[in-house]
Amino acid sequence: MLKPFILRHSSRSLLRPLSAKAGGYAPSTFLLVQRRGLASEAEEHDVVVIGGGPGGYVAAIKAAQEGLKTACVEKRGSLGGTCLNVGCIPSKSLLNNSHIYHQILHDVKNLGDVKLNLTQMMNAKEQSVSGLTKGIEYLFKKNGVDYVKGTGTITSEHEIKVGPLDGGGPQTLRAKNIIIATGSEATPFPGLEIDEKRIVTSTGAIALTQVPEKMVVIGGGIIGLEMGSVWSRLGSDVTVVEYLGAIGGPGMDAEMAKTMQRILQKQGMKFKLNTKVMGGDVGSDNIKINVESAKGGKSESIDADVVLVAIGRRPYTTGLGLENVGIEVDERGRIVIDQEYRTKIPHIRVIGDVTFGAMLAHKAEEEGIAAVEYIKKGYGHVNYRAIPSVMYTHPEAAWVGQTEQEVKATGEAYNIGSFPFSANSRAKTNLDTEGMVKFITDKETDRILGIHIIGPNAGEMIAEGVLAMEYGASSEDIGRTSHAHPTLSEAFKEAAMAAFSKPIHA
Amino acid sequence: MASSICRLSSHLPLQLRLHVFRRGLTTTVRRNVASNLLMPALSPTMTEGTISRWELREGDTFSAGDVLLEIETDKAQMDVEALDNGILARIMVKAGNKAVQVGSRIAVLAEPGDDLANLEMPPENNDTGSRASTLAREEKKINENPKGNTRSPRGEDRPSVVESSDEGAPSTTGTSKAHTPSPSVAHLIREHKISEGDVSAIASTGPKGRLLKGDILAYLGRANKAYLKDLEGRIHKLEKLDLSNIKIAPPKKDVGESAKQVVEKGPVVSFGEVLKVQDKLQAVLGLHMPLSTFISKATTRANHSLPPMSSASDILDELLNLPSTTSSRPAKFQPKITASPPPPPYSPARGADILDMLTGAAPATTPAVKRTLGIVATGPNVISLTVKGVEEEERGKLFLEKVKGFLEIDPGKLVL
Repeated sequence: MLKPFILRHSSRSLLRPLSAKAGGYAPSTFLLVQRRGLASEAEEHDVVVIGGGPGGYVAAIKAAQEGLKTACVEKRGSLGGTCLNVGCIPSKSLLNNSHIYHQILHDVKNLGDVKLNLTQMMNAKEQSVSGLTKGIEYLFKKNGVDYVKGTGTITSEHEIKVGPLDGGGPQTLRAKNIIIATGSEATPFPGLEIDEKRIVTSTGAIALTQVPEKMVVIGGGIIGLEMGSVWSRLGSDVTVVEYLGAIGGPGMDAEMAKTMQRILQKQGMKFKLNTKVMGGDVGSDNIKINVESAKGGKSESIDADVVLVAIGRRPYTTGLGLENVGIEVDERGRIVIDQEYRTKIPHIRVIGDVTFGAMLAHKAEEEGIAAVEYIKKGYGHVNYRAIPSVMYTHPEAAWVGQTEQEVKATGEAYNIGSFPFSANSRAKTNLDTEGMVKFITDKETDRILGIHIIGPNAGEMIAEGVLAMEYGASSEDIGRTSHAHPTLSEAFKEAAMAAFSKPIHA
Repeated sequence: MASSICRLSSHLPLQLRLHVFRRGLTTTVRRNVASNLLMPALSPTMTEGTISRWELREGDTFSAGDVLLEIETDKAQMDVEALDNGILARIMVKAGNKAVQVGSRIAVLAEPGDDLANLEMPPENNDTGSRASTLAREEKKINENPKGNTRSPRGEDRPSVVESSDEGAPSTTGTSKAHTPSPSVAHLIREHKISEGDVSAIASTGPKGRLLKGDILAYLGRANKAYLKDLEGRIHKLEKLDLSNIKIAPPKKDVGESAKQVVEKGPVVSFGEVLKVQDKLQAVLGLHMPLSTFISKATTRANHSLPPMSSASDILDELLNLPSTTSSRPAKFQPKITASPPPPPYSPARGADILDMLTGAAPATTPAVKRTLGIVATGPNVISLTVKGVEEEERGKLFLEKVKGFLEIDPGKLVL
């Protein structure tokens, strides 16, 4: 129990990198901070996590659970990161409530009046968020994680200076291990200045004070489509402008992307694919977005009251002090790591959006746990082939593994098994029959290569597919597994049966 | 087939129990020496129990189904049955013993027909880790035989022993098959009447050695084995974070004036005195003071001892009672110490001219080197300094001289 701790004592660990790279390793750089005015050095932590988002806070709790003395540095003022404060969670509150509103509006059209109270809807969102962020603070207390509020800057290989949020002097934390989990920020659109009121990122899009009459969404990826559908349901005229030829981002199966686009169009959203945004004129009461066909030629301008910039996210390392210890980033700003999340300084690890891989909260969580396990046990597990993606429109889209276009590109033969929800009894009774389940399997071995779902609760249903892939399942394995009747999950089973044999109900 | 799988899951608790017993009585390796019978765990949470009664005496032979002994826990009393034939060679823990730890040796069993007089006794082999490993094995064995019938997955002619003495040795072929076959695999095995022995010989390509449908298809000649390997390779690649073709961002360029980088040979700083003080501190106070602390303190002092810089604009500011602008007031110097020639200069967004001053190598051998920052003994050390504007060059030089002074002459003062 004690042994690993002793081994990691500072004096020895300082030597380790040196001996490991006797032959011309890049320099260990020390920026000597001015000690003047600094608080006295605190007790050394085993792990200091910089960033309290879904990757960072999970890593911190896990580290504390593993018996490591842990601190988590967060500058937002509340835990949970982008995801919990201005991302996944608030947007899901709005998606749920706007969906209910939309449904009632259309179901009771002939029965009476429904009026939107946007303030109430935003209040509900804020309540969910604050409940959850406080929940994490509670979990920190429960597990003994030191929660340090402020901006963490790495000043040397084992030191983090924390600039306090309000008053007080800066604090210096000493750490045997550092986990960087500083996440990402919305990539700005050159030429359009974000004010989070009229030109917004996802942060502003979840906090609009009134329903814009016209909204232009730049970028047809998951964030753009989710936020677009919230405001579309609440009454906005939403136009999505996408540079690529398909919505959903490059990770989405092409067939699914087309299906999704058709469904969203039916709901009232407009799409301009293969279209380049050239710039915008921000007038006092109206914004004009100038677009041009990406294949050259035709240009036009679209009017908007609010423009959502959702062209992607980029790693966030501002003020982190990477240069103080010589840690490298790649061309897109991602911190360079190895398979065990180590930077060139082995006791500084990096997880989540700020490094490589998909920018997903649950991917960051997995990495946070794995990074701690690497520190504690020398082995961690993340299977990047089995990380699901979910788009929380209605119906939802969810997928795991490879897309059909990716499998096709390998040149190997494959099978497709799909089953529509319109043939599923539960979907029928729910009057919610749009979408389908699609399996892609290796033709020779029947091994599942990818699963793609559009349908009610697709995000929950994909979990079964992820588990199956984690175990190397074939579609027959799923087809021979009992699924309760009548449930939506029967469609999942039938699609699997369609891949290796024939479905019963289609 | 599907129905038998279902039945299994609904009867799981019973199966578990049966397996606990079987586990006690099968071995992974056929051996010609006697084997240890370890205290079985009758439930997943059981850690110890009482042996209430031995049904057999030493030297008695038993056959499958015979009750060997009765075990009592705080929850239940249960018979432990033999599943194979054998001889109870020696009872190690007599009846009535309480709090017998799960996994500890309670008896030695021999194979039928063994000569007890010349029996080679296995070593006790019961260190602290053995309980955990037994438990782990337990799970494995439970998984091994989903049918839950009395047949051992490894055939019936196994010696009726419990734990072979080489308990810790990994079973090479066994591990990969220690999984419940998936529905499709189980189906193919039954459909094509593949014997258990043959199944265990099939190469598996699944995660953690799991047997997949494709593996059985390859065995049956319905899938290409080479292709299977390819597929496994492709999938394995996808399971890893893709870190190929990383293009390191070029170091940020200076955004300020494009002044040339001045590299000068600076004063040689010797850390010899510092290391001595460090040693003393360690010896006397048991306190390890990192080298960086010395340098930091020296820097602070050097900064303080610099004469105030009065530029024309400073004076003007003072006269007009204006808040001085940052550009005219010298920032505190913050040198960087590196182990080898400095990396391409990183310039913080404000942009600055860079004046690098090099110091030569520090003394190569000091007893304290092993406990200090590696930079001391390895190659040339560099103290680089970022200053604004050419007029600061002189101040920079002065600053470095002072740092050198503080570090070389009685550095103990810095920290005491």
